[in-house]
Amino acid sequence: MRAAFAVIAALALAFLALPVVAIFLRVSPATLVRELGDPVARDALVVSLRTSALAQLLVVVLGTPTAYMLATRRFRGRSVLLTLVELPLVLPPAVAGIGLLAAFGRSGLLSTSLAFTQSAVVLAVSFVAAPFYVRTAVAAFESIDETLVAAARTLGARPWRVFARIALPLAASGLGAGLALSFARGLGEFGATIMFAGSLQRVTQTLPLGIYAEFAQSFDVALAMGALLVAFSFTLLLGVKWLRSDWISPSRFAPSVSS
Amino acid sequence: MSLLAVFAAASLTAVFPGIDRAPRFQFGGSDQLAFQIRQGAPADVFASASPKYAQQLHARGLCSKPKVFATNTLVLIVPRANAAHIRSVYDLRRRGIKLVVGAPGVPIGDYTRTLLARLHLRSALSNVVSNETDVKLVVAKVALGEADAGFVYRTDVKPAGKRVIQLALPATVQPTVKYELCIPTKRKHSQLAARFVREVLSRRGRAALKAAGFGLP
Repeated sequence: MRAAFAVIAALALAFLALPVVAIFLRVSPATLVRELGDPVARDALVVSLRTSALAQLLVVVLGTPTAYMLATRRFRGRSVLLTLVELPLVLPPAVAGIGLLAAFGRSGLLSTSLAFTQSAVVLAVSFVAAPFYVRTAVAAFESIDETLVAAARTLGARPWRVFARIALPLAASGLGAGLALSFARGLGEFGATIMFAGSLQRVTQTLPLGIYAEFAQSFDVALAMGALLVAFSFTLLLGVKWLRSDWISPSRFAPSVSS
Repeated sequence: MSLLAVFAAASLTAVFPGIDRAPRFQFGGSDQLAFQIRQGAPADVFASASPKYAQQLHARGLCSKPKVFATNTLVLIVPRANAAHIRSVYDLRRRGIKLVVGAPGVPIGDYTRTLLARLHLRSALSNVVSNETDVKLVVAKVALGEADAGFVYRTDVKPAGKRVIQLALPATVQPTVKYELCIPTKRKHSQLAARFVREVLSRRGRAALKAAGFGLP
């Protein structure tokens, strides 16, 4: 049986690795590096980094208090709110795209003129990436030993001080892991962005949009951008593993998803 | 349902199923469809909005000799509300107009750039807020009212219904828009494919194309 499992695992892993490896083998590394100098790739990288940085700032500033509230309070409708937070995880990006248009489009609920601007990219990235941060942050806050919080309270610490001096430091590695996941997901955002923000070099064309615009025109440039995203995401996920190993075991994370 | 797979330019979305309902259609930017066929996508018929892509496949031995079956012209469309008050193509020079066009390399994108060059309106390209990968996406963004104007084919206006208004463009600056059909090689359904091509070229097919606003070669 062990041999059979090893064979199946080898097949499955090969299937997952093949497309990723193929990106690097199709052309020489020198070509990949050279094509990254292409203006389309360079501009897409700048747009991606800029919009992702802003989006993650938004996610952390708004997401951390939200996650703390969801983790520490028990109230009616809490599970509905948790589900709402998780929803973008499973929604097709196309649904996020029409949703953002229906909410922020010119003829949308709030009728803004955000469409086609870099702010539209930031909103799209925040919408799809935030759940990765908030969900992980809720789990991190929930895993804090309650006796530590109780002890701080008994010693007279106000709620704000408990949050800043006890909860935040104890949850820090979990928050870091959530941020890395959110960042990785945000970098890959495609569907909602192309529908809500359009695709314009130097303004709204992120790396994934650049790949889509280039794959039929110049495949090597698309490959180079793909390779860059693979390298980024691999590094981020590896970082998450490292952060998580000293934070919480997966078995403790699992139950809180259904709570 | 026929096994025939027809890869056709997005601008043929409304008319091809009316000529023959049976095939499985894939509509998209001609450049992307041609790319997919080069990568071995199972297309039995390829209908391109520009001779460029059908001829490229033919030159590589990947499809039969292309046949011209329709022509088209470009128009400028604006949302029905026309909040930007665009009355003519020259208003596109105004700053702050949100113009949506096809990306370079996509047939509608290349035709649009030719047309703007002939109008000495290349400056309007600085108002472009998005380069779309096929013409239907240009239509969608104008019809939603998110964009102030977009260049599309004349035949895209009717399917968009009342959501857009078209502004005609001078005939003298129109680029030559030719649609070509070819049959990819090494496919099993070449007889069915040839029949589909004959249908499009038949009197009934030509009538359907004409009713949709296409020109006939």
